[in-house]
Amino acid sequence: MSNLLKKLFGTLLQKPWESERAAIDNAHEGKTFDISVQKSAVLIIFGIATVLFSLVFTSYLYTLPPGQDTKYLLRPNLLWINTLILFFVTYFFNKITNDLKKKDTSKVKRNLLIIGGLTYLFLFGQIIFWFQLLKSGNYVSTNSYFANFYVFTALHGLHLLGGLLFWGKVSSRVLKLEQNKILEEEKNISALSLYWTFLLIVWLMFFLMIYIFNDAFVAWCKSLIS
Amino acid sequence: MSDEYENKTGYQAQSSETISSGGRGGGSGTVPDADHVRPAEIPEQDLYHGHSFITKWVFCQDAKVIGVQYFLLATFTGIIGLILSWLMRLQLGFPEAAGFMTAEHYYQFVTMHGMIMVVYFLTALFLGGFGNYLIPLMVGSRDMVFPYLNMVSFWSFFVAVVVLLASFFVPGGPTGAGWTLYPPQAILEGTPGSGMGILLMCISLILFVAGFTMGGLNYMITVLQARTRGMTLMRMPLTVWGIFTATILAMLAFPALLVGGLMMTLDNVLGTSFFMPTILKAGEVLEYGGGSPILFQHLFWFFGHPEVYIVALPAFGIVSDLISVHARKNIFGYRMMVWAIVGIGGLSFFVWAHHMYVSGMNPWFGFFFATTTLIIAIPTAMKVYNWILTLWRGNIRLNVVMLWCLGFIVTFVNGGITGLFLGNVTVDVPLSDTYFVIAHFHMVMGIAPLMVIMGAVYHWFPLVAGRFLDEKLGKWHFWLTFLGAYSIYFPMHYLGFIGVPRRYFEMYDSPYVTSAVGMNEFISVAAFIVGAAQLILIYNIIRTLKIGKPAGHNPWQANSLEWLTPSVPPEHGNWGEKLPVVHRWPYDFSVPGAKEDFITQTTPPSEVTETEVEKT
Repeated sequence: MSNLLKKLFGTLLQKPWESERAAIDNAHEGKTFDISVQKSAVLIIFGIATVLFSLVFTSYLYTLPPGQDTKYLLRPNLLWINTLILFFVTYFFNKITNDLKKKDTSKVKRNLLIIGGLTYLFLFGQIIFWFQLLKSGNYVSTNSYFANFYVFTALHGLHLLGGLLFWGKVSSRVLKLEQNKILEEEKNISALSLYWTFLLIVWLMFFLMIYIFNDAFVAWCKSLIS
Repeated sequence: MSDEYENKTGYQAQSSETISSGGRGGGSGTVPDADHVRPAEIPEQDLYHGHSFITKWVFCQDAKVIGVQYFLLATFTGIIGLILSWLMRLQLGFPEAAGFMTAEHYYQFVTMHGMIMVVYFLTALFLGGFGNYLIPLMVGSRDMVFPYLNMVSFWSFFVAVVVLLASFFVPGGPTGAGWTLYPPQAILEGTPGSGMGILLMCISLILFVAGFTMGGLNYMITVLQARTRGMTLMRMPLTVWGIFTATILAMLAFPALLVGGLMMTLDNVLGTSFFMPTILKAGEVLEYGGGSPILFQHLFWFFGHPEVYIVALPAFGIVSDLISVHARKNIFGYRMMVWAIVGIGGLSFFVWAHHMYVSGMNPWFGFFFATTTLIIAIPTAMKVYNWILTLWRGNIRLNVVMLWCLGFIVTFVNGGITGLFLGNVTVDVPLSDTYFVIAHFHMVMGIAPLMVIMGAVYHWFPLVAGRFLDEKLGKWHFWLTFLGAYSIYFPMHYLGFIGVPRRYFEMYDSPYVTSAVGMNEFISVAAFIVGAAQLILIYNIIRTLKIGKPAGHNPWQANSLEWLTPSVPPEHGNWGEKLPVVHRWPYDFSVPGAKEDFITQTTPPSEVTETEVEKT
């Protein structure tokens, strides 16, 4: 971060009209950061998605109703299993990127398929959980606690679906490639890996939040103090 | 369409063995090998060249065509916005002639006019239109980095416009909640378009944001990662700086609009209560409860205020370049101009609640937001001084482009000064719901950016079409628009001061009616004339395309890369066989010792050895 700020301020202080500066500038290759365009795209999407999810969090905190009926969400449920699945996805992505760094492409195809399968499983699990919530009488209009829950999970799911679209594109290319050519797709795969890690972090933030910012948790904290 | 995919061409990366260093941006004081630039390290971009009508002009991936598409569609929606404003002015100035219009219609026209002009006209035109056309050309790349995504971006915008306009034809008509779309009234019965109208508006905005995000991703990455050799960030023209910074603002601000639109749609359709408090309707308690209308206001203005700068920053950048080229002088304080653009962009996220003074807030918040609002005047004033200092002792060409630039400066200063009034809580509260506010924001973010758009059209038309727009017609267009716009908005300040409220269908038995009526008639006539004066431009464009004077290469003797393409208008891929290599910044005008009064960005120092350098 400090390097980034240094670079930013260093850039803004340049005097492009001076001859000494011109000699340096002429050697510039035209790229600002030494990363691929795919990775740049993912990082920018991070920025936008962070604002988006932060606003949903803010709206959640702003409209949190008193006395939420959180029993259903707070007892052990499918969300925990879904969270575990997301961890596994990130684990497999991590495995792929490590393998690619070592130029080992033997398990890339298999792991990519596992990642897709697990992500679909996560989304399926989320939909099942929605049905369970609806069955228990907790609708999107019940109160803003649940409204925010549905909105957040929907937005998170849509982001994963978007990721799956690119996963599909990359995977279909990788599956057709011979083992020794898989490394050509390294940039795309590492960009996907970064995206999934980000969505895991966002999910964990939300997961923590629904457990922390509610009356039951506050009451529990108070009981600890008293 | 399958055959087009065989037509993918990769231009070969080339290494350059030119030289240089030197002078102003590499000009004088040449040393041996001073023109040297490093060999290309960034691989060449594969481009998809369409060769049927559909792939060349409709579903096209060339950023320049996409830019023109954005420009035309934004202009089309802008004309609808203008017609709506005519209808509003007809009602206000000559209500007896507007018998066909009900109060509901009036509110719908106000709403649609506002939203169309701010989002679908100005934002789309500056970022989608100028951004797409100019960014790849000005930074020396062949196209945007993701051309397919760029195409999808335009078509999302197209669908967004269709959905928006469809709301005119649904039961209840378009929403009449005001362009701010405040709940609860936006979705409650009694407000025009509270059913389908507001729903279509929200869907359209969501589509717009989704589409813009794809475009914005392209603009940002192209600027950051796909510039040509020698093109450092600080050698970019200010136009690119303005569009680039505005894109960052849009990418961070539009999610707030998206979240607001999405949640309001859910409140409207699924009965959630994000923005809906417990509320009574005709004595009956509705099923809503627990939501906050103020939350929507925060979300809306967290988008809404940066939106002002999303429009203004590209205008600032463009006008800087136009002034520099047509005053034959380097832009005064280039670094300061960049700092000001970045500074204004950053500050714009800390001022949103100045739109909510009348909603009520802790006085300390009011104090905070008033302070941050007034602080923005500093970088903004820096820019105004720099434009004036650029003109000072310049070799000014008083052509149509320059007239629009000068018109912009005075209009922007005018609108900016009334902004200082309204930034203060105690002044804003009594003026907030009056015509003073209408006058302020139309001056500062309506007319001022529009003048830049017009200047830019006259400036870059020779590049897009290869022909000059007619100067004489252009001057008529300018003077009618400039004087007409002042005739509309100057009197509105007075109307605001005497307390005439905005968003009123009529004045009823108001005591202000006597003094306001004559003025309203005058304003309306001026508005009709200004609107009609835009036909001059349309006629000028059509006439020029047929019989306009050919412009040739670099007709304004400019320095930036967009004028240095091998063909005019530039072809797909922009640069023919070889990408340009940049040796200097784009503002080397009237350099002492140089043979001509301009040195293009691609001129190596070895070709301008006699130039003198000013140390700063």
